[in-house]
Amino acid sequence: MSRLALTRADEPMTAARVGIGGPVGSGKTALVERLIPALQTRGIDIAVITNDLVTAEDAERVRRSGLIDPERVSAVEAGACPHTVIREDPTLNIEAADELERRFPGVELILLESGGDNLASTFSRDLTDFWMFVIDVAGGDDIPRKRGPGVIRADLLVINKVDLAPHVGVDLGRMQREATEVRGGRPVLLTNCRRGEGIEAIVDLLEREVLFRK
Amino acid sequence: MLRLHGIMGRADDRAYARQLHALEHRGGIELLFVPPADAGRKRFRLTTDRGTDCAVSLDRDEELVDGALLHLDADRAIIVRFGEQQVWRLKARDDASALKLGWHAGNLHWRVRFEGDHLVVLLDAPIDTYRARIRPLLDAGEVVERDHV
Ligand SMILES: Nc1nc2c(ncn2[C@@H]2O[C@H](COP(=O)(O)OP(=O)(O)OP(=O)(O)O)[C@@H](O)[C@H]2O)c(=O)[nH]1
Ligand SMILES: [Mg+2]
Repeated sequence: MSRLALTRADEPMTAARVGIGGPVGSGKTALVERLIPALQTRGIDIAVITNDLVTAEDAERVRRSGLIDPERVSAVEAGACPHTVIREDPTLNIEAADELERRFPGVELILLESGGDNLASTFSRDLTDFWMFVIDVAGGDDIPRKRGPGVIRADLLVINKVDLAPHVGVDLGRMQREATEVRGGRPVLLTNCRRGEGIEAIVDLLEREVLFRK
Repeated sequence: MLRLHGIMGRADDRAYARQLHALEHRGGIELLFVPPADAGRKRFRLTTDRGTDCAVSLDRDEELVDGALLHLDADRAIIVRFGEQQVWRLKARDDASALKLGWHAGNLHWRVRFEGDHLVVLLDAPIDTYRARIRPLLDAGEVVERDHV
């Protein structure tokens, strides 16, 4: 081995795998639908995997959205326990990701939506390089205080549906502060996926943390 | 940003011993502390103890280990450490004491960082082995221990 070329940085790269988990109905698919165009605008080559219980409902929704080539959206049926296929045995999802990389060489980022679950669901590091946990304002501002593993361990906590805060009597500033506190200062971002607000900040973070573009 | 892909080997591989030893004397060893919870990641962005911003990726079937060597060139090596950096923060009583402390730290090849008027020692061994080396300065009150985390 040459003494000067002792680095392997010229190896071919695989796509960054980014997980999106969170309770049922918190807005995971809505976030995927916002992230797709935001990532594409920045020239990032993407693909999507969705996990549903027994159907491919979310996959169909994303395919029909017209936002992305339907071929680039894969569905994994999670069965009754959505966390099993992202944590204990992520083989099905790993295969789906490998398959997308084979079919679309050059894909840089694969978004992987987990089926809606509870506050304890987390992603295996074998499956994702970075994962976010999406909760929503309407679930109550005490969610961060409950310190669920999803809230604590995710690389990014997204608090969605901020537009609903006034309607459900949630103090957003406090919710974000408490969330940041229980997470030891790691990132917490606010979004309104209905109107597409707060999405750019997530893309900025992904560009830095896993795409290494800046 | 330093873009790094893959593990070259382990820092204790005999093949690297001479080069790493030479770098150590020139302060060229940088440690990348990886929190245990992140050890399974195949892509991550972390800063070394010397402030180098590293963008690291591994092959999917590659496993990060404690002591993994990620980069080696004529000026520096980057080595993975699982866990957090233990540091020892010191303050000198006056200018004369500061000169002595600086002289010792240099002679002992301690890895240090400067934070204002504190000398922050990055620990690679139990703290008592470090204390023993400057015991007279500590006992005389010329150097005061600020904290140890
Ligand atoms: N008001 C408001 N509604 C939202 C927002 N984001 C999503 N929704 C709505 O919340 C509902 C659930 O959104 P989804 O994106 O399907 O949620 P999900 O987390 O993917 O749900 P599951 O996959 O079934 O767990 C839908 O009716 C969305 O329109 C938001 O920011 N504000
Ligand atoms: Mg969904």
